[in-house]
Amino acid sequence: MSLKKIIEEHPERRYIMFGGKGGLGKTTFSAATAYWLATRGKKVMVFSVDPQASLSDIFQQDIFGKGPVKIMDNLWAQEIDADQHIKAYQNEIRQKILDMYGFDQVPEEIEQYIQAASAEPAMEESAIFDAVVDIVVQGDYDYYIYDLVPLGHALYYLSMAKVYDEWINKITKLREEMREYEEMVSRLKREKETEEDQILKELQYIRGRINASSKILTDKEKTAFFFVVIPEEMILIDTKKAAELFAKFDVPISGYVVNRVVPRDLLKENIPPYLKNRIEMQDKYLKQIDETLGKQVASHVPELERDVTGLDMIKKLSEIMYGS
Amino acid sequence: MSEEEKKSFWQNMKEVLYGMASHDMSRYALRTRASMEHLFILITMGDMIGVPILPPYYSLRLLPYVVPQISTWKRRLLREKDLSDAMF
Repeated sequence: MSLKKIIEEHPERRYIMFGGKGGLGKTTFSAATAYWLATRGKKVMVFSVDPQASLSDIFQQDIFGKGPVKIMDNLWAQEIDADQHIKAYQNEIRQKILDMYGFDQVPEEIEQYIQAASAEPAMEESAIFDAVVDIVVQGDYDYYIYDLVPLGHALYYLSMAKVYDEWINKITKLREEMREYEEMVSRLKREKETEEDQILKELQYIRGRINASSKILTDKEKTAFFFVVIPEEMILIDTKKAAELFAKFDVPISGYVVNRVVPRDLLKENIPPYLKNRIEMQDKYLKQIDETLGKQVASHVPELERDVTGLDMIKKLSEIMYGS
Repeated sequence: MSEEEKKSFWQNMKEVLYGMASHDMSRYALRTRASMEHLFILITMGDMIGVPILPPYYSLRLLPYVVPQISTWKRRLLREKDLSDAMF
C-alpha cells in the first residue's frame, strides 16, 4: 500500500512519525509529509523531539525555541529548546519554594540540588518529553508530525515512559499509605480532617503528563509510525533489530519507506563503473527488502540531484512521495 | 458544678482516656509516618546523598514540598547506623 493510501485511508491516525537511524531522511520525510497534508487543507504541526533538531535547516528559517512558527498556510513547525525549557522549569521550582515558605532566597543545599539535578544526562530528554505533552495537548491541529530522534534515542525515549510510570506508581502507593497513617492519627486524636496531600496531587498530575505522552506513542488507532531505511546492509540489520524492540514497546508500525534509491533510468546512459556498482549493490538489498518486508514497504524514494532544503525542494519531494 | 467546670471535667476525662488508650497508638503511627516520609524523600530526592534516582525531571516538581524535612532527613539517614535501622 502506498504512503498516500495509508494516510488517506486512516484519517484518524493524527500522529505521524518517521523513525530510523541518523541521517536517513527522517526530517526530510516529516517536512514533506507535513507540506503535502498542509496543501490539502489540513492544519499540521511538525515538531522535533531531537535536541539536535534540524527543522530550522530544512525550512531555512530559525525556529529553535520560538514556539510554534507558521511556515506557510496550514503548516506550523516547532523546535523545542530543552535548555530554555529546563531553565524556566528551575525558576518555577525556585519561585514555588520562595512563595511556600516566605524565604528571601532558596536555601543553599536546595539550590545545589536544583542545579545538580539539571545537569543529569537524562534531563534534556525528559524536558523535551514533557514539552511534547504541551504541544500535543494544547494545539488544535489536524495532524501532528513527530520528527523523531535516531533509533537508539527513540528507544530510550520509549522506555523512559515505562520507567517513569513504574516509578510514579511506586511512590504514589507509598504516599497513599502515608496518608492512611495520617488519617489514623487524626482519628485517634479526634482532630478534624487532615489537609489535602499536595504531594499526592502533584504525583497524579505527573502521572497524567506521562500517560498523555506515552499513550500517543503506542496508540494503534491514532498513530502511524514509519521506518525509514536505505538499501544498505548495515541499515537493514539495525532496522530489523530496532523494529523488534519497537514492537515490544507496542509501537504500531505502519510501514517502511525506502530512501536514496539511485534512479534505474541511469543504467540506460553511459555511466561510470562506480555508479553501476552502487546500483548493483542497491539491487541486491532492494530484493532483500522486498522479500522480508514485502507489502510493508509504503514507498521508494529516489536519491535526488541535490539535498532537500527550502520549500521548493520539499514540494518536489512531497510530489514524489504522494503524487502531485 | 457550673457549666464551665463540668465541661473542663469532661475535657480532662477525655484526655486521660486518650492518654490511657490511644496515645501510644498515635505515637507509634506518627513514628511510622515519619519513617515513611524519610523513605519517600529517599526515593524522590536520593540524588542529594548520592543515591541515583531515575527521572530527576519530575522529582524536582516534588522538591518544594519536602524542603523543611530535608535537613532532618539527611541527618537521620547519614547517621552512623545501618541504613535499614534508620528506615524502620
